[in-house]
Amino acid sequence: MTATTKYFRNVYDTLKTTLVGMRITGKYLLQKPITVQYPDERLPIPNRYRGIHYLEQEKCIECLACARACPIDCIEMDAVRHGKELEWITFTLDYQKCMFCELCVYPCPKDCIHMGTEFAFVSYDRSEFVHDLLSYRGMSRDAKTRMLEAEQKKKAKEEAKKAKEAAKAALKAEAEGKEAAGQN
Amino acid sequence: MSQSTTLPTAAAGTGEREFMLDVRTQDMEVNMGPQHPATHGVMRILIRADGEICTGAQPHLGYLHRCAEKIGENVEWLQYLPYTDRYDYLAAMNNNLGYSMAVEKLMGIEIPRRALMIRTICAELNRIGSHLVAFGTYGLDLGAITPFLYMFREREWMMALFEKICGARLTYSYIRIGGVFNDAPPGWLSEVERFCDTFEEKWQEYVDLLMVNHIFVQRTANIGVIPKAMALDFGLTGPMLRGSGVDWDLRRDMPYELYAEIWKSGCFQIPLGKGERGTLGDCWDRAYVRVMEMIESIKIVRWCLDSIAPGPVIAEIPKTLRVPAGEAYVGIENPRGELGHYVVSDGGKVAVRCRVRGPSFTNLAVLEELLPGALIADSIAIIGSTDIVVGETDR
Amino acid sequence: MLAAVLFAGAPQSGTNPIQGLLEQVAPAAVPAWAVVAATIGIGVGITVAIVSVIAMFGTWMERKVSGHIQCRYGPMRAGWHGWLQPLADGVKLLLKEDLVPKGADRVLYVIAPAIVLASVLAAMAVFPLAPNFYFADIDLGIFFILAMTSTTTIGVVMAGWSSNSKWSLYGSMREAAQVIAYEIPLGISLLVPIMVAGSFNLIEVSNDQAGWMGMNWYIWPWVNPFMLPAFVLFFIAILAETKRAPFDLPEAESELVAGFMTEYSGIRWSFFFMEEYAAMFLYSAVGAFFFFGGFESPLTWLVRHQFGLTVGVQAEAWSLGAILLTLTSALTIVVKGFAGVFLMMWLRWTLPRVRIDQVMTLGYKYLTPLALVCVLGAGLWEVFVKGFLPWRNG
Repeated sequence: MTATTKYFRNVYDTLKTTLVGMRITGKYLLQKPITVQYPDERLPIPNRYRGIHYLEQEKCIECLACARACPIDCIEMDAVRHGKELEWITFTLDYQKCMFCELCVYPCPKDCIHMGTEFAFVSYDRSEFVHDLLSYRGMSRDAKTRMLEAEQKKKAKEEAKKAKEAAKAALKAEAEGKEAAGQN
Repeated sequence: MSQSTTLPTAAAGTGEREFMLDVRTQDMEVNMGPQHPATHGVMRILIRADGEICTGAQPHLGYLHRCAEKIGENVEWLQYLPYTDRYDYLAAMNNNLGYSMAVEKLMGIEIPRRALMIRTICAELNRIGSHLVAFGTYGLDLGAITPFLYMFREREWMMALFEKICGARLTYSYIRIGGVFNDAPPGWLSEVERFCDTFEEKWQEYVDLLMVNHIFVQRTANIGVIPKAMALDFGLTGPMLRGSGVDWDLRRDMPYELYAEIWKSGCFQIPLGKGERGTLGDCWDRAYVRVMEMIESIKIVRWCLDSIAPGPVIAEIPKTLRVPAGEAYVGIENPRGELGHYVVSDGGKVAVRCRVRGPSFTNLAVLEELLPGALIADSIAIIGSTDIVVGETDR
Repeated sequence: MLAAVLFAGAPQSGTNPIQGLLEQVAPAAVPAWAVVAATIGIGVGITVAIVSVIAMFGTWMERKVSGHIQCRYGPMRAGWHGWLQPLADGVKLLLKEDLVPKGADRVLYVIAPAIVLASVLAAMAVFPLAPNFYFADIDLGIFFILAMTSTTTIGVVMAGWSSNSKWSLYGSMREAAQVIAYEIPLGISLLVPIMVAGSFNLIEVSNDQAGWMGMNWYIWPWVNPFMLPAFVLFFIAILAETKRAPFDLPEAESELVAGFMTEYSGIRWSFFFMEEYAAMFLYSAVGAFFFFGGFESPLTWLVRHQFGLTVGVQAEAWSLGAILLTLTSALTIVVKGFAGVFLMMWLRWTLPRVRIDQVMTLGYKYLTPLALVCVLGAGLWEVFVKGFLPWRNG
């Protein structure tokens, strides 16, 4: 290519490719934008989205499987056992550490910890990112009634047992009395 | 007294631009980064400049060091998976794949075929996404802002696809040891098909808008030339290597998973730099290889979509992983080059050694050689063409 | 600024509409110099207001155009489709901390943005918004505009030098090299319409293009076929002069962070910004005057035709025809000006940036010789062909 043809080739190429580019950008200028106005309209969030966790507390048995599966140990929980029932003290997830890997969800034997679709978590204070997953503290009402029922049952059982024993004892005493009387 | 000085030209083969100066001037040290729009993250390049011409360059690393390898020796096998997302955050699926394959090799487990298919689809989609960022930000480095946003539009769709299958948009942790976490939700595969159709259309637009644009060609052709021998000497991999015309792709030459089968079916090719617009191995060739690879990836995805069949997506593995003692190295073709995972196990729950060979780190080394002699504006073009992810160079 | 205005528009009696108006209403006791001073004051105020409004509209337009080109909306919150956004930005910039970097040359650093803005304000002084609405109608109008706008370079170089930042220095050096290179093709390509019009005066050039439905604009090939290539060259040159992409090397946000503006913040930074948009409008309005008929459009032709007005003759001051003509003329030039601005934005959001040596090559090796060819061709056309064209000799 001689210098002259190269010169005019450059001019031609520049103008042509510029016009081609302008045609493409101009096409999009006239089209409707694809973005959405975020807080007013939102894109749908799929079901599998890995957002802020939620806990089905009733099901949880405090087995610590999720806490053990967590690579960064951001789950902490504590509860007092009353026989079968749990009195919840704390179940926190530290979102300063959490990296939303969902590894805590799979090992759960009761399928009670899940990741929700909520993703915005804003605070003025870092301490608030230690998120409490509990919906209630202490024992649930169901658990309380269950426990009460169990206690009553137990009491009734014990009373019945006692009564039985008392009856037995009375019977025995009676028998003994009779015996004594017979001896006399 | 005026003294004529000839500064070194960029590299052998450029030859076209030679700067003759009549005055001797003082060199200036310019600190490009760690906060600079063109360093793609927190990387710092110390440039010694004579006016607009670089006379020396020194990349400084470590601003994003997060001890990824050391963490690998302290968490359980499966627990390390989320950390692999985070070194090359633009191609997290490929990182998951590489690590999982290394552990699987040690354990000797067989992966169900459907899992392999989904893995391939995800890895190739993520390659497209990564190349979209690479090419888009390359345009951004050269001052073209709009193509970048067009490419992000398609990448957004790709991320929405991943969001549907695994719930996350960037750090997927989806491909796991033994298969994948979840099966694809209903309708997902057909949406991938639609994505492929749309992408091919849009791809032509990127080519018209940026790739063949005369200004773009002028900015990239004959700049930052890496000859074949130099590319091999520096141990470059991926598009950097293929841009220099070296025909080497792990997907074909050391095939893993399904790639041997896919290559045999002949549905995809390995694009190579040809020096069409300038010298072989210049910035334009590297960008060209990336742009062509996107289309090849689409072909691979289509092959998988055609031959996918229902089945299990994860092999039977115990809940607490105990990997047999031994060592394994697996290298896979990341969008940036060879991503190697070397894991050593003593039979316990935790790795003894977990070494990562990142392609960006190796590819970065060539900068020191390429930058001297280039203009400041060219140095931006050269840095952009290496397509580094600083998360991976530092790990 | 004041000095420049004094130099440009030292208003003589009868040439300035503002002065004329003031002389009519002022009582006899007011001395003549006071009227002149008041004229200057009002004129400066109007110019500053116009420049501010243009800059604000320009920034809003840039955001909307870039947004829609990139498949997004741009500002949508402040007012309808974000039309109050520039105002909100102005308030934000006023409230921002005004930083002066350590080691900066304080005096130069502070006056640099003022010089940059003053140069475009001064150029605006000779810019007529309508045939009878101007501050200074000087015969060397275009010459003055070119001279004033090129003083921007001084401010930019000062800003880059005084910032004590290497990126700023790069930016200002590039600006100096670039503006000097592109002054030449800009001036030469403007010679083509100037040669056809035979005048430097903007209003006279505009009047010369009056004709049926705007069919006498210089750009039409039947007027002079060399005008179109001259306009393309002119347009490329003004892109470089106003530092717009693909010639935005002085700012080059991916290379030089923000070039000469790197260290500026707050209201000083906004001065550079205002200058950019005002200069964009000014240059494209100049292009409109010299290639696209100035005030002449089908609209003004209709008004003139309807009310029987003659080109170049000042009508009765408050007649309906004169008022309508003024309004349509102003509308025409504003629309044309912003059409040019839109074209510049469209280009900016399409093209990558060129390299500094390519900028120089383009300026010296391509634009300058081609502009010379255009001047030669247009001159020959004017001398040899014009006589045979009946529509040129009406």
